[in-house]
Amino acid sequence: MRLRRRTAASSAPAAVGSPTILQRRWRKFKSLRRGYYSLVVLVSAYVLSFFLPLLVNNKALVVHYNGQWYFPAVKSWLVSLPLIGGLFGTDFYSGEQFGQVGNSAECNYRELKRQYELEQQGNFVILPLYPYSPFEDISVEGNVPFLAPLQVGPDGFVRLLGTDDRGRDVFARMAYGFQISLSFALLLALLEYLIGVPIGAMLGFFGGRFDILAQRLIEIWATVPFLFLVIIVASIVRPNFALLLLLLALFTWVGITVLIRAEFYREKAKDYVAAAVAIGVPRWKIMFKHILPNSLVPIITYFPFSVVAGIGALVSLDFLGFGLPPPTPSWGEMMSVGLQHLATGKWWLMLSPMAALFVTLTLIVFIGESVREAFDPRTFSRLR
Amino acid sequence: MREYFLRRLLLTIPTFLGATLVVFVIIQLAPGGPLEQQIMALRMAMGGEAAAGGLAGQTGAMIPESALQELRRYYGFDKPIWQRYLAWLGVWPREIESYIAQPGRPRNVGEGKQILVRKTPSGYELIDPATGKPVSGWRVEPQPSEGGQERVRISRVGFSGILTGDFGTSYVYREPVMKLILERLPVSLQFGLIGFILSYTICIYLGIQKALSHGSPFDLVTSTLIFIGYSIPGWALGAFLLMLFGTQSFVELFPLGGFQSEFYEQLSLWEKILDRAWHFVLPTIAYTIGSFASLTVLMKNALLENLSQDYIRTAFAKGLAERRVIWLHALRNSIIPIAANIGYIIGLFLAGSYLIELVFNIDGVGKLSIEAVFARDYPIVFAFTVLAVLIRLFGAILSDLVLALVDPRIRFR
Repeated sequence: MRLRRRTAASSAPAAVGSPTILQRRWRKFKSLRRGYYSLVVLVSAYVLSFFLPLLVNNKALVVHYNGQWYFPAVKSWLVSLPLIGGLFGTDFYSGEQFGQVGNSAECNYRELKRQYELEQQGNFVILPLYPYSPFEDISVEGNVPFLAPLQVGPDGFVRLLGTDDRGRDVFARMAYGFQISLSFALLLALLEYLIGVPIGAMLGFFGGRFDILAQRLIEIWATVPFLFLVIIVASIVRPNFALLLLLLALFTWVGITVLIRAEFYREKAKDYVAAAVAIGVPRWKIMFKHILPNSLVPIITYFPFSVVAGIGALVSLDFLGFGLPPPTPSWGEMMSVGLQHLATGKWWLMLSPMAALFVTLTLIVFIGESVREAFDPRTFSRLR
Repeated sequence: MREYFLRRLLLTIPTFLGATLVVFVIIQLAPGGPLEQQIMALRMAMGGEAAAGGLAGQTGAMIPESALQELRRYYGFDKPIWQRYLAWLGVWPREIESYIAQPGRPRNVGEGKQILVRKTPSGYELIDPATGKPVSGWRVEPQPSEGGQERVRISRVGFSGILTGDFGTSYVYREPVMKLILERLPVSLQFGLIGFILSYTICIYLGIQKALSHGSPFDLVTSTLIFIGYSIPGWALGAFLLMLFGTQSFVELFPLGGFQSEFYEQLSLWEKILDRAWHFVLPTIAYTIGSFASLTVLMKNALLENLSQDYIRTAFAKGLAERRVIWLHALRNSIIPIAANIGYIIGLFLAGSYLIELVFNIDGVGKLSIEAVFARDYPIVFAFTVLAVLIRLFGAILSDLVLALVDPRIRFR
């Protein structure tokens, strides 16, 4: 039994009495505390991660120099924003601009802070909470390779999780890696849905010879060892973020297609579809306005697991060195560095990205499990 | 039933062709493939002077046309892609070997054989210098002469491809791919089979216990552990375990990868078994984790569902012992979905292990293939994908077959 979702407007008078099915599912989901708190934690962390340039950055939040105010970290945050970031130009300030004599390269704000404190001329610098960027390496002064966690570097700042083989800060890379991994996986899942849902809908709705033929094609597509193939292609073409996204979506849309097809197949036999056909509703409208809202269960319950698979695929590709292009902070790349230096006792290089990966994936699986229980209570607790 | 499986078997043929076609086309059409790689390498080898002179990017200007043609010919790029695919399958004739020979001089053509090209008024004829008899199956094409010497290309043409069992020769190892894979298959199989058996025994038992104590603290704790295990890729868990137990940083309990100790040959049989087991522990955990969650949860849910059925109530009502009801009545029906998963799981173990083998430095088929990707050793890469496709295809059929065997109610039509 499945009720039609009522829109907020139409249910306004009756809202006091009976909750809609979505409301009831949401309540059920909230009552499953493990999943609900996982969602709260993950969403907060993800939202917070968009402000990373203000929290974890080697650029100063505020520079007060010769009576003028500068906000390099805010600038770098604006630049980092998706889509509109390009409008803000560059976040580059040379050292000379702030009085670091002879430094025409990027200003070293940690040194600048010390310099201003020594000079005592009313200039000051406010650094972000954690003053390292995921990109600066050994070429910037103060970065030493293989600092252990909590060790104080030569520039007097504590390294929470140490530094890697190129002197890059592990904590900063881990934090930025979270943002990139999750964004990538979410976008990938969306893209999968954009391809997979319409195809699945058409297969289930039209059926017949078209369906049989397409089923064969899907079987072929599902038989191809996709991650290996993506690895091969990525090893040849060296993809960027968008290309990698497309490449993975090209192979992963099959999963949701099969689910949606089955759901449409079941739904189209119901009376409301026959009624819609009888009064002459166009086919695409029947599919997307009438059947689709009734097929939400697989769409929503599959999503978290699709995100988990996306993160797993990205980490695997990055681990092999065929993922996102090199300076990008990614957990997979960090793990491959960690594996190289495992024998020499540099355990933190492995532990940090690994812990981040474990925690993130586990949170998502907890969410997915609870979503499934809230939306699809017939089964006990089933994984895919 | 027999008809059904016969049809399934026949249907694997188009699926196999389709899947290999997809793989072939994608790899061949990707820019920067083997041909471009070679051209790049040649350009590098020919020195950077032209690049410095602003000619970078104009390959043709640097590499003589004849050399380019030779390369295209070697990689088969002188033919359209459908011909290349068919030749790779082995249903279209292709050049198996070719040599440049000078008329009048015997030419070594491998395996200790020689061929003598003799000029006749109508063209050329090929003669085996040892017996003096004409050789068949070879083709002769005149080549532009070099240094006043007349030259011809002699080539043997035939059907040779994956359908005839010829996976080509590795660019790196200079050995037949089939031989390389067969050498490493036992190692991969050992891990795969042990992991497979272990995961099934543990998961079935764990699933039963969880179903019997549904909702208890034990159930909740193991569920949490299982979800964590589900979310993590096997190779990542393997790397994590290596960090914990393979190095001095924490507890050095197990070796840092590898398949056996260096001095393995000198050990007694008992020590050999122990040594192997010692090396197997961590990788096997990594192998097992991938299928662990789904199998356990599947088992648990199937048993829970069956325990709520009427026939179980009847069994209890007529006074059967609880053990008997669970282990004989409910379990037999609950095993069915697990058994149906067998083909899929086998595929997972055999073809999905390249990352684990890489992490643990195990010289198996997976490591061979992933290293072939690094080295752009295309014949090995193709062979591995073909292998993976085959395993998946037959895994699916195996699943259905097992399902039909354990569940007499199922009728395939």
